[in-house]
Amino acid sequence: MGESLLDVRMLNKAFGTVVTAKDLNFSLYRGVITSIIGPNGAGKSTLINVLTGLLAADSGEIWFQGREVTNEPIHRRVKQGLGRSFQVVNVFGNLTLFENLAIPVLALKGRSKDMIKSIARLKEVGEHVEMVLTQVGLLDKAYMVARSLSHGDLRLLEVAIALAAKPRLLFLDEPTAGMNPVERSRILETIRQLSQTGEVTFVIVEHDMDIVFSLSDRVIALHKGKIIGDGSPEQIKMNPQVREVYLGEEVA
Amino acid sequence: MLQSLVHVCLAGISAGMFIWLVASGLTLVFGVLRVLNFAHGSFYMLGAYLCFAVLKAMGGNFWLGLLLGPLIVSVVGYVMERYLLRLVYHLELPYQLLLTFAMVLIFDDLVKMIWGAGSIGSPAVPGLSGSVSIAGREFPVYNLFIIAVGPLVALGLYGLLEKTWWGRIVRASASDREMALSIGVNVPLLYSGVFMFGAWLSAVGGALAVPYVGLLTTGMGEAIIISAFIVVVIGGLGSLKGAFLGSLIVGLLSSFGTRFMPMLDMFLTFGLMAAVLLWRPQGFFAEG
Amino acid sequence: MNQYWKYFLMLGCLGALVGIGFVSGPFVLYLATRIMILSIFALGYNLLLGRTGLLSFGHAAFFATGAYGLAITSIHISAHPLLGILIGVAAAALLSLCIGFFCVRHTEIYFAMLTLAFGMMVFALIWNLRSITGGDDGLYGISRTAISLGIVKIPIRNDYQFYFFVLFFFMVSVFLINRIYSSPFGLVLAGIRENHIRAEFSGLSVKAYRLGVFTVSGAFAGLAGSLSALLESNVAPFSAHWTHSAEPVLVSLIGGLQTFSGPVVGSVIFVALREVLQRFTYNWMLWFGVLLLAIIIGFRGGVVGSISEAFRRYSRP
Repeated sequence: MGESLLDVRMLNKAFGTVVTAKDLNFSLYRGVITSIIGPNGAGKSTLINVLTGLLAADSGEIWFQGREVTNEPIHRRVKQGLGRSFQVVNVFGNLTLFENLAIPVLALKGRSKDMIKSIARLKEVGEHVEMVLTQVGLLDKAYMVARSLSHGDLRLLEVAIALAAKPRLLFLDEPTAGMNPVERSRILETIRQLSQTGEVTFVIVEHDMDIVFSLSDRVIALHKGKIIGDGSPEQIKMNPQVREVYLGEEVA
Repeated sequence: MLQSLVHVCLAGISAGMFIWLVASGLTLVFGVLRVLNFAHGSFYMLGAYLCFAVLKAMGGNFWLGLLLGPLIVSVVGYVMERYLLRLVYHLELPYQLLLTFAMVLIFDDLVKMIWGAGSIGSPAVPGLSGSVSIAGREFPVYNLFIIAVGPLVALGLYGLLEKTWWGRIVRASASDREMALSIGVNVPLLYSGVFMFGAWLSAVGGALAVPYVGLLTTGMGEAIIISAFIVVVIGGLGSLKGAFLGSLIVGLLSSFGTRFMPMLDMFLTFGLMAAVLLWRPQGFFAEG
Repeated sequence: MNQYWKYFLMLGCLGALVGIGFVSGPFVLYLATRIMILSIFALGYNLLLGRTGLLSFGHAAFFATGAYGLAITSIHISAHPLLGILIGVAAAALLSLCIGFFCVRHTEIYFAMLTLAFGMMVFALIWNLRSITGGDDGLYGISRTAISLGIVKIPIRNDYQFYFFVLFFFMVSVFLINRIYSSPFGLVLAGIRENHIRAEFSGLSVKAYRLGVFTVSGAFAGLAGSLSALLESNVAPFSAHWTHSAEPVLVSLIGGLQTFSGPVVGSVIFVALREVLQRFTYNWMLWFGVLLLAIIIGFRGGVVGSISEAFRRYSRP
């Protein structure tokens, strides 16, 4: 399956008696679009939160590109190329789209500590921001305030901020929720393109099974904090355990 | 040595009980409304001035002042909650804090306008004047009365919160606002009620302070609110049990501090506050 | 408002300030000097409050550190004002770095309470260390000796000379803080205010930036403090008290938290209004309270924010 980007070893996380990750072991590979599926409460969002550093693991190890990041703070993981978007829109509401994207780009280029130079003078930052805005099709709204965007555009911006940090591995938490078909196809197209060039490896949490099966190379099914299925979309469709706890509900 | 120790202890406890009366309302209001009210000290001051005003108007009966003063203050509290605070619940923290701070400025000057800027002497209390001999030294009866009032209020609050329907509602909304909304609690009414009650408690403290402090100043509100802040921080924001123990600690710390190390007293108290915030922000006495 | 208007306005203000220095009487001059000092304090402070969204009740401690730093230098080491200011600002920056290191672990109410606690610890030290700080008397007799720069000596003893001395620092502060607002660092601060989790996920150590801005604002508070020590020729312990920390908060709020010039406009209104109110009534605090209420409830943009909002509406076809 190629070079592994992220390795998870014996990962555990529980909230009281609710187990959201139980002895998880898996790896994520470069260039392989992976979807994580599971019924509500299967531990998908919690898993992303633990892997990206928003929550601490109870035990176990997380290795990213050959370095252990289990106890690294969020911003260090991001610097190493571990990014994420959020399920609920989580942008810089009162800033313009340009500024929204400039923040991760400044961090990426190591220019964020400059107190004297004007942002307008940092050409490389401006160019990178405009490139990302073009990718998601929001360039014409660059100087609008984020708060005033439509819901679909906000979702695009949500993904764009994550992309702007130039991640190697990017977790997208329900990226297409609440998008109209046009926006949805644009975001999926962007994902495919970036994935093909090998720049970004995507891991997607998604409820829409059409998207999961058409987009992913690999699907991981979670149930009660355990992996109950892991393989190609076809293998997952055939997996009896997955059908029973998850797909079964929809197929039936 | 021993007798002075006993007396320093007693003085500390009675000072702590005044702080407790302010801190209990402050922490109750914070627990339910999530607003830290700078003006809570002003209720203490208003309670003292109004008690004194009633006392003078009604021919010197302290008990009548103690009854009426705090009642008037709780009405003031209602007006403040209903017509001002309610407008800022949805705003960020600085706006909420500053609104209550603006009220401090307004209350201070209103009191100065009505009663004058100078200090007013205060009277003895019928039935509780004089002093008793404890460990070989005289100790005012009134201070013993205060030391008794504090725990009584604590017990009363405990009963109210744990044993009554109202108390359960208050506790439920303090721990989970969404849940309270979903089971149909009348939240605006609850907020007004809790705020009025908190104001009343603080004003009772102020009224009781009239014979204790000997003179009234507009600065008494600011002085006690800072102590109360320290107390609710040490006890854990929103915890009544913590506030009670915190009041005792701060009261004792200041009386021992004043007696034995006057240089370090204030520094130590605020140092304790900072230390708790840094290493145990859930409060000193929180479980787990 | 476009760029040219802004420069035009700034030049106008500068012209007016220079004009005041030449033609006004001693009382107006004194008020204008105080306004500029308060502006420096509030401009720096608003980097923290308006820009980063952190409410500190401890900045009076840094103001006082600047003031006492200058006073102690002036009395014991050298009366050279620039050296005093340098030491005052450095001490304030160092102290705010140390205090900030602990405070930035928390946000919201816990941050406000921590800054209050640390600020009052500084107040307690100043109050109690009589032999160094003069205790409740403060320190007296700080002289405004001439600034000797090699062969040149610039006198600042009389009020007009000192006015221009403060004007110089005011302009430097305005320039620096304006740069910070349009700098990457300034944008990161706004990002932290808007959404600190997203800022962290943008690859930024939020705590480090909070500490950075805390220290910068502490340094400006120190500058304001040391200038005020020179103005009043004494320092008082209550300049470290938390109630003094409320001053830059009020000023920024009156002028407009989300604007660059808000703290300056707020300072003008605060000082001028206070003088006027004190003429007519002893109860100026009451009116400030009412003004604050009105701003919090009705005009959260402050004076500058509300006016520019009205301007925008008016100019829109």
